[in-house]
Amino acid sequence: MTDPNRERYRIRETAFYLFTQQSLPACKPVLTPGWVITIFLFMGLIFIPVGLVTLRASHSVVEIVDRYDIECVPESSRIDKISYIQDDSIPKNCSRFMKVRKYMKAPINIYYQLDNYYQNHRRYVKSRSDKQLLHGRKYHDTSSCQPVELNNGQPIVPCGLIAWSLFNDSFTFIRERAELKVNRKNIAWKSDRDHKFGKNVHPFSFQNGTLIGGGKLYPKIPLSDQEDLIVWMRTSALPSFRKLYGRIEEDLDVDDVIVVNLMNNYNTYSFGGKKKLVLSTSSWLGGKNNFLGHACIIVGCSSLVLAIVFTLLHLKYRRPYGDTSYLPWNRKSLSG
Amino acid sequence: MSGWDTVNLPLKSQPGSSRLKTVSRTVTLGRVQPQMPTFRTIFCNDRDANFAHRYKGNSISTTKYNIFTFLPKGLYEQFRRVANLYFLMVSILSATPYSPVHPVTNMVPLSLVLLFSLIKEAFEDWQRFQNDNAINSTLVDVLQAQGWETLQWKKLQVGDIIRVKQDGFFPADILLLASTNADGVCYIETANLDGETNLKIRKGLEKTWDYSSPEKACEFKGEVQCEQPNNSLYTFSGNLVIDNQTLPLSPNQILLRGCSLKNTCFIVGAVIFTGHETKVMMNSMNVPSKRSTLERRLDKLILALFCTLFSMCLLGAMGSGMFIDRKYFYLGLRENVEDQFNPSRRFLVIILTMLTLLTLYSTIIPISLYVSIETIKFIQSSQFINKDLNMYHAETNTPASARTSNLNEELGQVEYIFSDKTGTLTRNLMEFFKCSIGGEIYGTGMTEIESGIAERIGINVQELQTSTDSVQEKGFNFYDERLLRGAWRNEPNHDACKEFFRCLAICHTVLPEGDESPQKIKYQAASPDEAALVLAAKNFGFFFYRRTPTMIYVRESHVERMGKTQDVSYEILNVLEFNSTRKRQSVVCRYPDGRLVLYCKGADTVIYERLGSGNDYLNKVTRDHLEKFGSAGLRTLCLAYRDLAPDLYESWNEKFIKAKSSLRDREKKLDEVAELIEKELILIGATAIEDKLQEGVPSCIQTLSRAGIKIWVLTGDKMETAINVAYACNLLNNEMKQFIISSETDAIREVEERGDQAEIAHFIKEDVKKQLKKCLDEASQYFCSPSGPKLGLVIDGKCLMHALDPSLRIMLLTLSLNCASVVCCRVSPLQKAQVTSLVKKGARKITLSIGDGANDVSMIQAAHIGIGISGLEGMQAVMASDFAIAQFRFLEDLLLVHGRWAYIRLCKVVMYFFYKNLAFTLTQFWFTFSTGFSGQRFYDDWFQSLYNVIFTALPVVMVGLFDKDISPSLSKKYPELYKEGVKNMFFKWRVVVLWAFFAVYQSLVFFYFISASTSTSGGRPGKMFGLWDVSTMAFTCVVVTVNLRLLMMCNSITRWHCISVGGSILVWFVFIFLYCGVMTPLDRNDNMYWVIYILMGTPYFYVTLLLVPVAALLVDFLFLGVQRWFFPYDYQIVQEMHKDEIHGTGLSGLLESKHEHTAEVARSSEISRLPREVSKHSGFAFDSPGYESFFASQFGKYVPPKAWDVARRASMKSKAKPK
Repeated sequence: MTDPNRERYRIRETAFYLFTQQSLPACKPVLTPGWVITIFLFMGLIFIPVGLVTLRASHSVVEIVDRYDIECVPESSRIDKISYIQDDSIPKNCSRFMKVRKYMKAPINIYYQLDNYYQNHRRYVKSRSDKQLLHGRKYHDTSSCQPVELNNGQPIVPCGLIAWSLFNDSFTFIRERAELKVNRKNIAWKSDRDHKFGKNVHPFSFQNGTLIGGGKLYPKIPLSDQEDLIVWMRTSALPSFRKLYGRIEEDLDVDDVIVVNLMNNYNTYSFGGKKKLVLSTSSWLGGKNNFLGHACIIVGCSSLVLAIVFTLLHLKYRRPYGDTSYLPWNRKSLSG
Repeated sequence: MSGWDTVNLPLKSQPGSSRLKTVSRTVTLGRVQPQMPTFRTIFCNDRDANFAHRYKGNSISTTKYNIFTFLPKGLYEQFRRVANLYFLMVSILSATPYSPVHPVTNMVPLSLVLLFSLIKEAFEDWQRFQNDNAINSTLVDVLQAQGWETLQWKKLQVGDIIRVKQDGFFPADILLLASTNADGVCYIETANLDGETNLKIRKGLEKTWDYSSPEKACEFKGEVQCEQPNNSLYTFSGNLVIDNQTLPLSPNQILLRGCSLKNTCFIVGAVIFTGHETKVMMNSMNVPSKRSTLERRLDKLILALFCTLFSMCLLGAMGSGMFIDRKYFYLGLRENVEDQFNPSRRFLVIILTMLTLLTLYSTIIPISLYVSIETIKFIQSSQFINKDLNMYHAETNTPASARTSNLNEELGQVEYIFSDKTGTLTRNLMEFFKCSIGGEIYGTGMTEIESGIAERIGINVQELQTSTDSVQEKGFNFYDERLLRGAWRNEPNHDACKEFFRCLAICHTVLPEGDESPQKIKYQAASPDEAALVLAAKNFGFFFYRRTPTMIYVRESHVERMGKTQDVSYEILNVLEFNSTRKRQSVVCRYPDGRLVLYCKGADTVIYERLGSGNDYLNKVTRDHLEKFGSAGLRTLCLAYRDLAPDLYESWNEKFIKAKSSLRDREKKLDEVAELIEKELILIGATAIEDKLQEGVPSCIQTLSRAGIKIWVLTGDKMETAINVAYACNLLNNEMKQFIISSETDAIREVEERGDQAEIAHFIKEDVKKQLKKCLDEASQYFCSPSGPKLGLVIDGKCLMHALDPSLRIMLLTLSLNCASVVCCRVSPLQKAQVTSLVKKGARKITLSIGDGANDVSMIQAAHIGIGISGLEGMQAVMASDFAIAQFRFLEDLLLVHGRWAYIRLCKVVMYFFYKNLAFTLTQFWFTFSTGFSGQRFYDDWFQSLYNVIFTALPVVMVGLFDKDISPSLSKKYPELYKEGVKNMFFKWRVVVLWAFFAVYQSLVFFYFISASTSTSGGRPGKMFGLWDVSTMAFTCVVVTVNLRLLMMCNSITRWHCISVGGSILVWFVFIFLYCGVMTPLDRNDNMYWVIYILMGTPYFYVTLLLVPVAALLVDFLFLGVQRWFFPYDYQIVQEMHKDEIHGTGLSGLLESKHEHTAEVARSSEISRLPREVSKHSGFAFDSPGYESFFASQFGKYVPPKAWDVARRASMKSKAKPK
C-alpha cells in the first residue's frame, strides 16, 4: 500500500535533488551553422508557399475604388467646399460611373472608405455609452457621452460623438438602367447586433440639437436593426478605414458600367478627409490586401537567401567549431 | 510558579524606593563611581522590589513588524523603491480623467507586486518570530520558593536567581554567584560573541561562593548597583551590596548572554540585564545591506528608461498640441470643451497630454522586475548555493550558506580577493615535515605545492605518497625510515643527528602540561612552530617532559645504549629570547657532565651570518636544502650550536647579568650582549615545518588566478611567514618580479631608536615614497610588454599605513593593481579594511574579502562581498559575512560556478525585461501617431495590466533559475570564462542598445504589419475589423513573440522552460477566451466582447499569427547566428567543444580536466622543475602576533593590548588555566 507512495516520494526527492544541484535534464541547443542554415531554409520553404497562396487570394479579389469627395462638389463650389457641404439647401446628389474591369462574382461588398478621419481619437472613442445602447433610456448615466449627452435635459439615444457623427452618404447602384439590389442586412458583426445594441431601444432626440453631426436614424427601428450605426460604432483602428455599406448580390460582368447615385452629405471637407467608394469581391482570406502576401514572400525569400549566403560562407570560410584557438587565453599564449 | 508570574501590588514600591535612597548613598562608598549619569539597582531574589523599576522582560523580538505595524511599515518599505513609487503615482494619475486607461491597468500589477513582496516579508518575519519564540521558550532553572523551577527564558526577570547547567547558554547577562568548581570559578565559551573557542574563566566573588544550593540561594539578598545597559562587551562596573558590605564587581563576574557554560557542572547567578538590554543584544547592529553592482547599474538603466519615457511623452504631447483643431468637427471641440482638448489653449493641452501619455506608457518601466529578481536570487541562494553538495564540507558537516541573497551575481564579477591567512589559507597547524641534518635531507612527504607541480607534469602522486601508517601525530607529519624508531643511530652522521635532536629538545620556551608520558603530554607554546619542533624531538626519541625555571628534563634514547632510555637533565643557564629583530633564539645549557653548549635556532639569514669558518661544504649544501624547502612552501629554521669554554661563558655572563639589570634600554643592551656570544656557531641542520594549508588551496588559487582574479593576502603575521605562505599557495614564485616594501630596514630602525614619533613618521613616509617610486619605475617597464614576468608586491603594515596616505595612494594603487599578487603583512584589522576600500573605491573594482576570525570582520564588511569561513572557529566573521563557506577551496565553486551563472542569468533576466517592456510599450507609442496624438490606448486595460505579471512573468524566472551555458565542471576547467563577468560583457551599454534595437524593430513589425494588413481587409464576409480586434491580434502576436524570444536566448532548455513558455501563451489564450466570451451584467466589457472568436473565425488571423512572430524574430535569429559565427563568446566556444558530451554527473568532466593541460601550463611546470640558480627565497618559521606578549605575560608583565588582541585567535591565547 505504501509502495507507490514511497516511490512517489523517491521520485520527488530525486527531482528536488536534481533541482538543487542544478542538474535538471535539459536540452542544450547549440546554434551551429547547420542549424542556422536548416532553420532559414525551413522558414523559406514555409513562407514562400504561404505567401504565394495568400497573394493569390488577394489577387483573386476584384476591387473598384472611386474617390468621389471632390468630384461630387460642383465646380463652382470647389473653392469653398465647407460652406457647400454645410448648406442644407443645396441638393447633394451626385452620379459616378464605375467600369467593371474584371468579372466580379457576387456577393460584392460595398465599402465607403474615409481617410484622415480619426475614429480612434481618444475623445471620440470614449464618447459613447455601451449600457445605454443596450438598455436605452432606462440607463441614465450618460456622462461618458460628453459632449453629445443631453438635449434639452433629455438624454439622447444613442448618445455620444460616435453616434452623432454617423456617416450619412448613401449610394444606389444602377446597371443598364436597372437598379442593382443592395443588401444592407448582415453588414455588422453578429455579436454586436445581438449583445451590444438593444432590441427594444429606439433612437430618441437624436440629431435634434443645435448642431447636427451626421446621419439620422429612424426612431421606429430599434438600435439592433440599425446596422449602419452598428458598423459605424465599431470604431476603426487607424485614421484611414473602410466600413461595409452593403452587398450587391448579383455578379458583375466585364465592361459593365455602373452608375452610382449618391448623396454626398457627409462633411469631410472641413478636415481634409477623403471619401471613397469601394466595390470589392472577397476571397477566403478577406478583401484585397497584398501586404500579407508580400510580407510572407519577403520573409521567405530573405530566409532562403540567408540560408544560401550562410551555406556559401560555411563552405568558403568554414569556422572550425569548438576551435580552441578562438579562446582568447589561447590566442595570447600563441602570440606570446 | 506561584506569585512570580504576576507581580502584584504597586504598593510595595514604597520600600523599594526608600531603599533606593539608601542605596545611592552606599554607592559612593564603593570603589567605582559609575560613569553613567544613572545606574540601576537590582534587588536580587526580590521581584516585588524590582517591579518598581519596570525593567524590561527577558523576551526578545528581532522581528521587523508586528500585526499592527506590518501593513503601514511594510508598505512604506515597498514604496521606498522608485519603481513602486512611480507606479503608485501613475495609478493615482490614472484615476483622473486625463488617463486613457482604467486605473486597474496600473493598479493590478502594482498590487500584485506589492502583495508578493509583502507575503515574502511576512514569511521572513514569521520565521524570525518563530526563531525568537524558540529562544524565548528555552527553559532555565529559576529559584522559586526554596527550589529550582523550570521556567521559560522569556519569563525571566531582572534580579532572579537562576541556575545554568553545563553546556547551557546563559539566558541573560548574569552576575556569577556560585559555581560547582572550586574557588567559584567557571569556564565559558564566548564563540557566539567574539568567535573565540578557547574557554574563558569567570570567577564569582568569594562572598557569594556558597549560594549554590537552592536552600542557601534563597537566603541571598543582595543589591547590585551597576551601570545602565550598554554595548561594551568587555567592561562592566558595579557593586554588590551584601550584608551592608559593598563589594566591587568587575567583568570577571559577569556571564553574558550568548555564551555557554563549559567544564562546570552548574553555576548560580543573578540576572542583571535582560532581553534587549543584554550586552549581546545591544551589540547586534544592523549590518548595512550591500547592493550589488549589477543592481546599481540597473538603476542607471531604469533611469535611462525614465528618460526615454519622458521624451516619448514629450514627443506625443507636442504632437497633440499641434494636432488638436476645431476642424475635426466630429470630435465636438466646441467652446466649452475641456482643457485637454481645447485648441485655443494648446500649451495646456501639451501639459495634460503629457500626463495622459505618462500613464499610457507606464509599462515601459518593468514593475515586476525587482520582484522577479528578488525571487530568482532568493531561490538561487537558498536552494542552489546553500544546498550545493560540492560546497558541503562533510567533516565539519557544514554546508555553504548565503546569508544574503543580494549579492549572487556580484560573485560572478569579482576581480580582487582579499584573503586572510591563518585559518583561511592555512589551518594554523604547524607540522614538522622535513629536515636537513648534516647535509642530508630527511622526510619523504610532498607538500601540496610540490604535488601540484608533479601533477601538472603528469606524475601520479598517489604512487609517490608513502604509506600513511607511519608515526603521525597532529604537528608531526614526518616519515623517513632512516630517522624514525631510533634508526638514526645507523646513519653515518648520527652525531649530527643527536645534536640536532637535542637542540630541538632544549632550545625552546615550551611548557609541558599534563601527564609526563609521551602519549599524554601536551605542549603549551607561544607559537605552534615551537610546539611542532618539540614534538618532533619527542618523536625522534628526545622526549622533553619537564621544565623548571633552571632545568629542562629530557628522556633520551642514546646511541650508546640501544633501546634504552635515560632521563637527562640540562641546566638552563641563559635564555636569549626571540624577538623580531634578532630572529633567533638561543639557550645556553650545561650538560650533566659539565659541557657548556649554546644552542641556537633562527632564520637562515641571521644564523649564516654568525657561523664560524670552516665546514663550507655543509653550509652550502644546507643552504641549497633551505632554498628547496622554501620554494616548496615550508617554513625553515636553521639550528646551530657552539661549545663554550667555561671562562668565556663566565665573562660573558657577567655582561649579560649587567645588561639584564640595567634600567635603560634593557632590550637593546640584551641584544647587544647576545651578539657577543652568538657567533662562531656550528651549523647542525635545518628544520622544515609545513604551515599546513587548507585542503586544495594552491590549486584553487591557481584556478582563480587563471580566471583573472587577483588575490591579495592580508595578514597580521610577519613578512617572512606571509611570503612563505604566499609561496606555498602559488601566489609568489621565483619567476615573478617581486617588490618588497618593508619597514624593517636598518635606516628605519635607526630612526626609530631615536624615538621621536614625528621624525619616525616623516622618515618612514619619505622612505616609503622612495621605495614606491623605485618599484613603480622598475615595474612600469613591464606594464606594456605582455611577455614580461608577472609582478608581485610585498608590503608591511607600517609602510602600508604611510602608503595609504592620500599623496602616495595613487602610486600604491598603480603599482599594486599591476601586480598579479600582493601580500600585506603585519596589518591591523583596520588596515585590512583600508586596503580593501582602496581597491574598491580607488580602482572601482569588485572586491571580495574572505576571512575566518574577528580580525577580518572589518575587511569583510568593507568589501563588496564578504565571505566568512564557517565550521571551525567562532561565528564573528560569519556573522558579518554575506556568504559563509567551510573551506577556502569552495570559493572556486562559489565564484566560478554559482557566481558566474548568477551573473549571466541576472543579466539575461534584466535584458529580457528591458526588451519585452520596451517592445510592448513601443507598439503603443507607434499607435499614438495614428490617433492624432490623443493618447488613446491600443490595448485593453487588462491586457496591459496582466502583460507583465501574468503573460510574461514566469518564463523569465525559469531562465533566471535554470539557464546553464556550460556544466559546472567545465566552468572550473576553463576558469578563463569567468573573465566575461569581470569585464561585464553581458551588461554593457552596447548590449542594452542591441536589445533596444531589437525591441524597436519588433514593435514596428507588431504595429505596422498588423495595421497594414487589416487596413483594407477583414473577416468574412466582407466585414471589417475595429480597433479592438486589431489590438487583440497585435497583443497575441506580442505575447507569442516575446515568449518565443525567451526560448531563443536560453542556453539550456529544461522541461520547465517549455512548460512556462507554453503555459504563458496558453494562459493568454484561456484568458482571452474567457474574457471575450463572458459578459456579466455587472461589468460589461463591450469593447472586447466576442473579439477573439471573430478573429479566430477568419483565416487571416492564423496567417498573421504565423507571419508576425517569425518576421519579428528573424532579425534576432540572424543576429544570433552571425554573432556566434563571427564573434563568438568564449563560453560558446567551450559549448561547442563539449557539445557531444553528456554532463549528467559532471564526474567525467572532472576526471578529464585533471589530465588535460594546455601548452602554457605544461611549459611553466617544466620550468618549475628546472634547478634554480639564485636564491630568492627560503622560508622562515617562528612567528605569531602574540608571541612576544606571551612571555611577557608569563613573567607577569602587563602588555598593552594591541588592536587585534581582542580578536586574537584561540590558538594563540595560551594563558595557562589555573588548576
